[in-house]
Amino acid sequence: MEIRMAGVTKTFGEDITALEDVFLNVPKGDFVYLVGPTGSGKTTLLRILNRELLPTRGQALVGEYNLRKLRRTRVCHYRRAVGMVFQDYRLLEDRSALENVAFVLEAVGASRKEAIDRAGEVLDCVGMWRRRFLFPRELSGGEQQRVSIARSIANDPLLLLCDEPTGNLDPQTAGEIMQLLLSINASGTTLLMATHNRYLVDAYRQRVVELKMGRIVRDQERGRYEIDEEL
Amino acid sequence: MRSFRFALRDTVRLIRQSPGVSGLTFLTVLVVFFFVGSSFLLALNTRHVISVVEGELVIQAYLQPKGNLDEVRKKAANIPHVTGVRPISSEQALELLKARLGNQSAAVTLLGENPLPASVEVRVDKASSVAGVARELVSMPQVEDVVYAGKVAEKLARLSRFAEVFSLFLLAFAGLAGALVLYNTIRVAIYSRKQEIEVMLLVGALPGFVALPFVFLGVFWGFTGTVAASLVLGILYKSFVVSVQNTLPFIQLLDNPDLFLKLGIVLVGSGIALSWLCSWFAVERHIAEAMKPS
Repeated sequence: MEIRMAGVTKTFGEDITALEDVFLNVPKGDFVYLVGPTGSGKTTLLRILNRELLPTRGQALVGEYNLRKLRRTRVCHYRRAVGMVFQDYRLLEDRSALENVAFVLEAVGASRKEAIDRAGEVLDCVGMWRRRFLFPRELSGGEQQRVSIARSIANDPLLLLCDEPTGNLDPQTAGEIMQLLLSINASGTTLLMATHNRYLVDAYRQRVVELKMGRIVRDQERGRYEIDEEL
Repeated sequence: MRSFRFALRDTVRLIRQSPGVSGLTFLTVLVVFFFVGSSFLLALNTRHVISVVEGELVIQAYLQPKGNLDEVRKKAANIPHVTGVRPISSEQALELLKARLGNQSAAVTLLGENPLPASVEVRVDKASSVAGVARELVSMPQVEDVVYAGKVAEKLARLSRFAEVFSLFLLAFAGLAGALVLYNTIRVAIYSRKQEIEVMLLVGALPGFVALPFVFLGVFWGFTGTVAASLVLGILYKSFVVSVQNTLPFIQLLDNPDLFLKLGIVLVGSGIALSWLCSWFAVERHIAEAMKPS
């Protein structure tokens, strides 16, 4: 899915400007790191793309969807095409890891058996097969993050929005998750990943968009976490 | 069909995972519908007692000396609101007088020729019809005079109208209060599942799909609560009727198994419908809030 943001500004109340005049084009199938300090607007940008927030000004188009004009009945269709890995996981506490993933599939029309089979597959991909029957409270932060990733990719989304997906993972697991995200991206899924993980950005070089105080200050193909002094 | 199965499974899960909220909601529905049912029975019994008294109201129409009793009886029976007509010939009237006088019935022989006119005794469906029927009777050429308890009928008609309005008001109030309590109880139950609803919507579940388990949950509470309320009400009312019959036998309360069955069906039916509506509104409102981008 292609993303086109033109002059997007998001303010909260009168004083807080989370994003200001953001122009961003992401072609279908691209992989983009969103970097920048805490409070720079990365999460706001992802939440706009997930249609949790509406831009105060400007246009946000994702594929055929104009996010400002999207009707309520179309929001769920849009969200089925978009996977989101939340910073705070947002897993359902009273369901096992397997059920957390399976219910998303059932919610979009899969049968119970299809949902369980597919949930098992994606949990295996993120290395959570052995712990699939455990509940979120029984999992570590990293494990919960992996379940959250499994849930977001279970539906084969066309656009994957990841908010700090490796934030709670050890370097080895973070690398494995990164490989997984790259393979999902290689299959044609557009991927935006907000991260503070300098090692990953530098090791797996992709397009880097840097935000500061709600503005895009750098947009670099195959960039590094910090400004590449060589360029 | 898949959504339906998922919703059913999820409803069972919701019930099992929050027994406290489920129990409280069940009790609320039980209490609410117990009072709705009690109001219904009170209204029905008020109407019943008044209609029994109304049934005792009689209009006596006395015929002209040459009046045809059978003709007047037929005409009277055709008047709207008339429920019964009893013809009394002058001979029967004399016999009735003798019976009433008892030991002094011999005094009747002093009258010589029977002076009592033939008459018809007319019963009407309700007190408010008495005056109209009496006017119809007095306008008949063969009728000489009409006697009825006008003041009593008027008072009874007023009481009947008041009872009707009171019953409607009582039922409307009980129904409205029940709906409000049920709506808010279901809202609280849904609020405890706020995060779950939000996550489901964030991953693209259709609003109807998200709402269905909560609607089923509401219907389940409505059904079980009203069945229990009907049983409790039936048992308590039956023992109340028995104690009233033993202590105040002149008060005739409704005591009909058919009535209990109908009341039970009405309570369970309205409980299901009301809980379905309340849970649908409550969850729909929550979904609308959750889906509204900030």
